[in-house]
Amino acid sequence: MAAELPLLPGFMQRMIQRWASRRQPAAQAEITVQRRQLYILPTRQGLLFFSILLLILIGAINYEINLGYMLAFLLGSLGLLAMVYTHQNLNGLQVRVHRAEPVFAGQDALFSISISQQGNDLHPALQLRSDNSPASNQPTRLDLLRQRSVNGSLALATSQRGYITPGMVKLFSEYPLGLFHAWSWLKLDAQCLVYPAPAPQHFKLRAGQQQNNKNLRDNQLSSDKRGSDDFAGIRQYQLGDQRNHMAWKAIARTGQLQTLQFSQDASEELWLRWDQLDPHLDIEQKLSILCRMVLDADQQGLRYGLQLPDSCLEPNSGLQHKQHCLKQLALFAH
Amino acid sequence: MRVALSRLIDVKNLPQQSVSWVVLSLVLVITPHLPRFPLWSVFLIAALFIWRLLCIKHPRWLPPKWLLLLIIIVAAWGLFMHFGTVFGKTAGSVFLSLLLAIKLHESRSRRDYMLLIALSFFIIVTNFLFSQSIPTVVFMLLSVIVLLMSMIHINLAQDTIGDTSGNSRSHSHNLSHRDKLKLASRLLLQALPLMLIMFVLFPRISGPLWQLPEEKNVAVSGLSDRMEPGNISALIQSSAVAFRAEFDRQPPPQPQLYWRALVLWTFDGRSWERGKHNPTPQANIQPLADPIDYRITLEPHQQDWLFALDMPLNVPDNIDYSSNFELRAGEKISSLYQYRLSSVPEYIIQPQLSPWERSAGLKMPAEGNPQTRALGRQLAQQYTEPQQIVSQVLAMFNAEDYHYTLNPPLTPGADSVDQFLFQTRRGFCEHYAGSFALLMRAAGVPARVVLGYQGGTLNPLNQVVTVRQSEAHAWVEVWLEQQGWLRVDPTAAIAPQRIERNLNAALDASEVRPLHMQLNSGLMQQLVFYWDAMDNQWKQWVIGYDDKLQQALLNKLFNQKLPFAEMIVYMLVSFMLMLLVISLFIMRPWQRPRMEPVQRSYQQFCNKLAKRGVKRQDHEGPMDFAQRAAQQLPQQAASIELISRAYMRLRYQANASDKLLAQFQRLVKQFKPIDRGGSKTDNPPAGGSGK
Repeated sequence: MAAELPLLPGFMQRMIQRWASRRQPAAQAEITVQRRQLYILPTRQGLLFFSILLLILIGAINYEINLGYMLAFLLGSLGLLAMVYTHQNLNGLQVRVHRAEPVFAGQDALFSISISQQGNDLHPALQLRSDNSPASNQPTRLDLLRQRSVNGSLALATSQRGYITPGMVKLFSEYPLGLFHAWSWLKLDAQCLVYPAPAPQHFKLRAGQQQNNKNLRDNQLSSDKRGSDDFAGIRQYQLGDQRNHMAWKAIARTGQLQTLQFSQDASEELWLRWDQLDPHLDIEQKLSILCRMVLDADQQGLRYGLQLPDSCLEPNSGLQHKQHCLKQLALFAH
Repeated sequence: MRVALSRLIDVKNLPQQSVSWVVLSLVLVITPHLPRFPLWSVFLIAALFIWRLLCIKHPRWLPPKWLLLLIIIVAAWGLFMHFGTVFGKTAGSVFLSLLLAIKLHESRSRRDYMLLIALSFFIIVTNFLFSQSIPTVVFMLLSVIVLLMSMIHINLAQDTIGDTSGNSRSHSHNLSHRDKLKLASRLLLQALPLMLIMFVLFPRISGPLWQLPEEKNVAVSGLSDRMEPGNISALIQSSAVAFRAEFDRQPPPQPQLYWRALVLWTFDGRSWERGKHNPTPQANIQPLADPIDYRITLEPHQQDWLFALDMPLNVPDNIDYSSNFELRAGEKISSLYQYRLSSVPEYIIQPQLSPWERSAGLKMPAEGNPQTRALGRQLAQQYTEPQQIVSQVLAMFNAEDYHYTLNPPLTPGADSVDQFLFQTRRGFCEHYAGSFALLMRAAGVPARVVLGYQGGTLNPLNQVVTVRQSEAHAWVEVWLEQQGWLRVDPTAAIAPQRIERNLNAALDASEVRPLHMQLNSGLMQQLVFYWDAMDNQWKQWVIGYDDKLQQALLNKLFNQKLPFAEMIVYMLVSFMLMLLVISLFIMRPWQRPRMEPVQRSYQQFCNKLAKRGVKRQDHEGPMDFAQRAAQQLPQQAASIELISRAYMRLRYQANASDKLLAQFQRLVKQFKPIDRGGSKTDNPPAGGSGK
């Protein structure tokens, strides 16, 4: 069964969700599944089960078979108890969401989620799905089996830069018999910073060089300028490294992919400027290009600064600076 | 909304274990049916199961749809040829089993498997049309546990294939079989009290709404309405219970236990039959002793006749009482049937012989058995009193070389009575009764054969007399002046032990006995008594629980007759109460830990602000909210910020101390936001030193 409510038309599901949303307490990083926020409905299999039960009862009445009555009532009681069990499988669980690492738009944001219990019971087949889950994804399934807590991750599709939250996360389960679908909507308070998707092309950036629109558009600065760089060392190959920077000799020696690294004079500074970009590009495209430039500049070990219409980051280098710049780009509002 | 739009995903290939579980469940529910199934269908079903199991390893062997359809059509035709219908009790259960075995071959998704399991419950219930014994119900409970385990397994196996979320470990083994068994048993145990309430209080309606079509070729063991050499001795092989009798007082002694069922009037030279309806207007009985009251619980025998101790005096209104002193129910007995009777052990019936009875009681076939006729004529000349003729023949059986045996030589041909009386002289009760009656008629004494049972085992544990098929018996009634129809049992003349004690005692030591008699010794007998007593209770209270018994029970419980609607109310109320009790037992809300203290306090804080119109929005972080709240309630800005900071530290700092928590809780407690327009400022932000 997929995550949606079984057997209800879409508009009713949305109505229920809106109603449930109002009943839900404010978003929190850790939520204890409360009884009043737990909903339950029979599944398709559940309805099938109960209709077979009804058939058995009718047969028993007609032929006056007391064991038939017995079986029908036994199944009915089992079905109702299964409802209690399904409810109980979710009731009282604590769901905690942890900060998600920033991603670029288009990548899945992975929220790490842990579900824990106070007791030591079996809570198998717990499933999570978010409003923002990629449609193709199976719900995340976790099994809390006689342990205090279990970890998993909830993948969210991202399409826009900025902050993304898991939104209404649906925690559901049909354990043990699959006759009932119990669920709770959790407002999980966590956010993931989504950077703009980097533009596809790479830039060979030179410190001190004033870049103009032209050389941005023709995509690659020629590789023959490489010679003027100072060779700084060899590091592990990273995705996106240029072929002509591959340290072929080192690769032959070690069998691992290595890349030559060049450094520029640390005093040289590179400015990545908004107003240097082609004015015909729209904001998102500009941000994409700037994002790519930040990445490339960082990769090439440059000192770079970022100038946006509303803010300015002084030239610097390092991981923290890169993240700072990317955050500026992600949250840029024009 | 994407959640609503996301499509239903049927997992294409469930783990192989699910298939094995479903096969196990189906085998389990079909097994009790097998003895009734035609042999070919047993093999077909078994082959289908084995085939499917092999397909687990070799998925390419799964049969194409047209082949499955062909199998269904051929099987339906076969069933029609065998039973004359496909929807009868037996035929229907064979057909359903076959359909499920075939459906198994084209089941792929979890939903298909759940359908198979659900229909398995239906197969269980069709078995109850044939048997409702204690072993059946025990087997049902076992099957239910296995079916529940299958359901748990199938449900746990779902959604694991194609799990793209990264962790590819197999989920199907995360709950051990032991866990599943424990869970299934716990569910079952908790369901039992609920079931019991419904079973007792669900209003019973009498009478069927529809009938299943009749089937041919269905064997039922029991008395038949004709008697020919060999058909009673065949019944002796069965130890099945025919009926049970509970006497209000001491049960009569063994030799008086003649349970009459049928009176056979006509003889065609070989077999005795009931003949035409006896038109004699009134059954006339003069009791010569105190009546004996008793209740009979009759096993379904698919016939309409009932059994009564010689001679029934008072019968219930719904039972037909013929001038042959036979009882008939007016419908075939297809489920357990109970009735109360009173009989008199000594009596005179029909002191005036009606003309029809005289002619029917003397009627001889046109020809055959000349020696018997001659002996009869000779007796009639020799003795004037019919009484003397009767004793003379009984004396003859007793004195001469006649033997009582289960395995008499065959007497084929038209003169079977002659053959028996004058040549073989070895026979069972049907031989003696048949030849005696014919001899009487030849001698001019009106006689008729009576079929029924003689004897029964008194269970010392519950004083119930159990009469089994092996106690089937035939005897004779002759009509004598002033004495009316008088019971004469020729078997008693040859083998008095049969009547005094039982068949086992009457047979020669050399005789090969049926298995059930060989086992009947000492400890075994004791066990049989226990089992029988239990079985009787089961029949009375569970299988025989009907509208009358229900009313009687409810009368006792509520001291009044409950109308239908009220009964349903009682049923629902008590069911719900029980469900509540069990649910509380499962949920144990008193053990449930509440919200974490940090969150609880923070929630209190948010609630206090919400009362003053500052509501925390969805997705609003605690600090953002604090900022907004501080703007809206500037007087409280300091404490709002203090509380929010403490909250953030408690939430997100790894080593937040208990002291901080206590401070935080105190701050929240003392926090009293006032209306923006309010004038009360009696709460200077407390705990300023808490930092």
